[in-house]
Amino acid sequence: MKPLMIFISAAVVNNLVLAYFLGICPFLGVSKRLDTALNMGFATTFVMTLTAVITWLINTHILIRFDLPFLQYVAFIITIASLVQLVEMFIRKTSPPLYRSLGIFLPLITTNCSILGLALFEALREYTFIESLFFGLGGGAGFTLALVLMAGIREELEFADVPESLKGAPMTLLVAGMLALAFMGFAGLLTV
Amino acid sequence: MLSVLSLTAVVVGGILAGFYQLVYPKIEANRLAEERRAIFSVLQGATDYETMVKTIDTEKGEEEIKIFKGLDGEGRVVGYAFIAEGPGFAAVIKMMVGLNINRETLTGLRVIEQIETPGLGSKIAEEKFEGQFRGLAIKPRIEYVKNKKPEKKNQIQAITGATISSRAVVDAINNRIKIVLKILEDME
Amino acid sequence: MAGSGTILKEFKKGLWAENPVIKMLLGMCPALAVTNSATNGFAMGMATTFVVISSSTMVSLIRRIVPRQVRIPTYIVIIAGFVTLADLFLKAQFPVISKALGPYVPLIVVNCLIMGRAEFFASRHPLFPAIMDALGMGLGFTGVLVVLGGIREILGSGSIFGVVFMTEEVFTPWVVMILPAGAFLTLGLLIGIINYASQRREST
Repeated sequence: MKPLMIFISAAVVNNLVLAYFLGICPFLGVSKRLDTALNMGFATTFVMTLTAVITWLINTHILIRFDLPFLQYVAFIITIASLVQLVEMFIRKTSPPLYRSLGIFLPLITTNCSILGLALFEALREYTFIESLFFGLGGGAGFTLALVLMAGIREELEFADVPESLKGAPMTLLVAGMLALAFMGFAGLLTV
Repeated sequence: MLSVLSLTAVVVGGILAGFYQLVYPKIEANRLAEERRAIFSVLQGATDYETMVKTIDTEKGEEEIKIFKGLDGEGRVVGYAFIAEGPGFAAVIKMMVGLNINRETLTGLRVIEQIETPGLGSKIAEEKFEGQFRGLAIKPRIEYVKNKKPEKKNQIQAITGATISSRAVVDAINNRIKIVLKILEDME
Repeated sequence: MAGSGTILKEFKKGLWAENPVIKMLLGMCPALAVTNSATNGFAMGMATTFVVISSSTMVSLIRRIVPRQVRIPTYIVIIAGFVTLADLFLKAQFPVISKALGPYVPLIVVNCLIMGRAEFFASRHPLFPAIMDALGMGLGFTGVLVVLGGIREILGSGSIFGVVFMTEEVFTPWVVMILPAGAFLTLGLLIGIINYASQRREST
């Protein structure tokens, strides 16, 4: 039961983007069109799940075992950067069509703070291996959800009469604020 | 090509290891000082304390329980303090709880770590909420009531709009008290 | 080579014309996450300034040694190293602030502002301009964080830098301002107002 709760909590109740402000850069940058948002979401979810699992192994079996807490940030970020690189090479070799649709997003994912944030939260909350796996999946699903919702709204916003000075980033931030308010409705549904 | 990257990693790792050795005593001292302040704030009259460590088996494996025996100037026991933690609304809430010498009422509560919603759940760390636990009866168990004044000796009033945070505090204390009472009994 | 005029320009551009948050929309995560009070905004800004200056210095110094293919991982390792230093320093000297910023200190590693300055400026410029650029960007970032934190703290808690000047009897705090939603709304409106002002100035 607990892994499932963690999944729902990370995806909806404590959405990484709207409640913890993680991954705001891609959230603002890649949310103009629905299809690109969806692809970005999938690519991120994929890397995030792998990261959650691998950083768990590194943290538990190397950093904690050998008492090296000060190497945590360096180790985590190297893991993420190498993972992104590996995933990119793998996809390019095995599936060119997938590479064409996801490829350009992959380098961006390294500096997506939701991934490092996820790895840090997971270590902080002392999740087990299975819990980490579900946390990664949930975090990815939550990121995708926020991105897709935002893209859907922004596609409609193009037809709206937005004041000149609010066009672009300011309007996106205001919409994000309203989404964050809406997501507060889920607050307290779960406590994990 | 990779040699430059590896060299950078080794140098960075080395510098961090050195710096960590340098500041670790200070970080540990800060943690201890905070613990000390928390213990004295929940145990009035205590000027010193002894730490008792006991390992118990829980569902999650072995856990170390620390109980702090508060002592006054003449070395008499004035009460016991212990750390209770449990899942709050946003993340784990950690608090120091004081138990009186008869083990029937609490002598105080100090929330040490919380990141509950600012302005709502974060009020658990304010005196208005914490103060309610001073003199609170722990038997049969601590309860909370909503939107009215508590009537019984074992009740506190939950924070309006932050029932979950309030409940988290109460649950965490109830759970940990059982264990602490058991340990104290075994020691006699 | 570069005269003192250009050096000054590298410093000044980060403060306003190319301000990382307001104009370039970089480093949004910490800008939104920790600005529920002016003090937190200031501390985060200072920590970020420290990291951006030291990593830009380092990157500029080794810019001729690092091969192109591994430059990004190398920069990331350097940045992560400085962030760890800053984190340990805060934990040792300012435990209260360290606690308030929580996991957002390590997240400075992925603040695109720092990587951006390393990649687009420090790796292509000599030491001195690189430092001035980093200093300007860091202070510009800090400024916005303090303003954002200040606005949110005044409206959300009735205080500024932790000093309460509007008690709950005279002013009911707008709790929403210190919640996530308030961060988005405040920054959105702030950028909107700045755009409005600069458009007005251009048209007259």
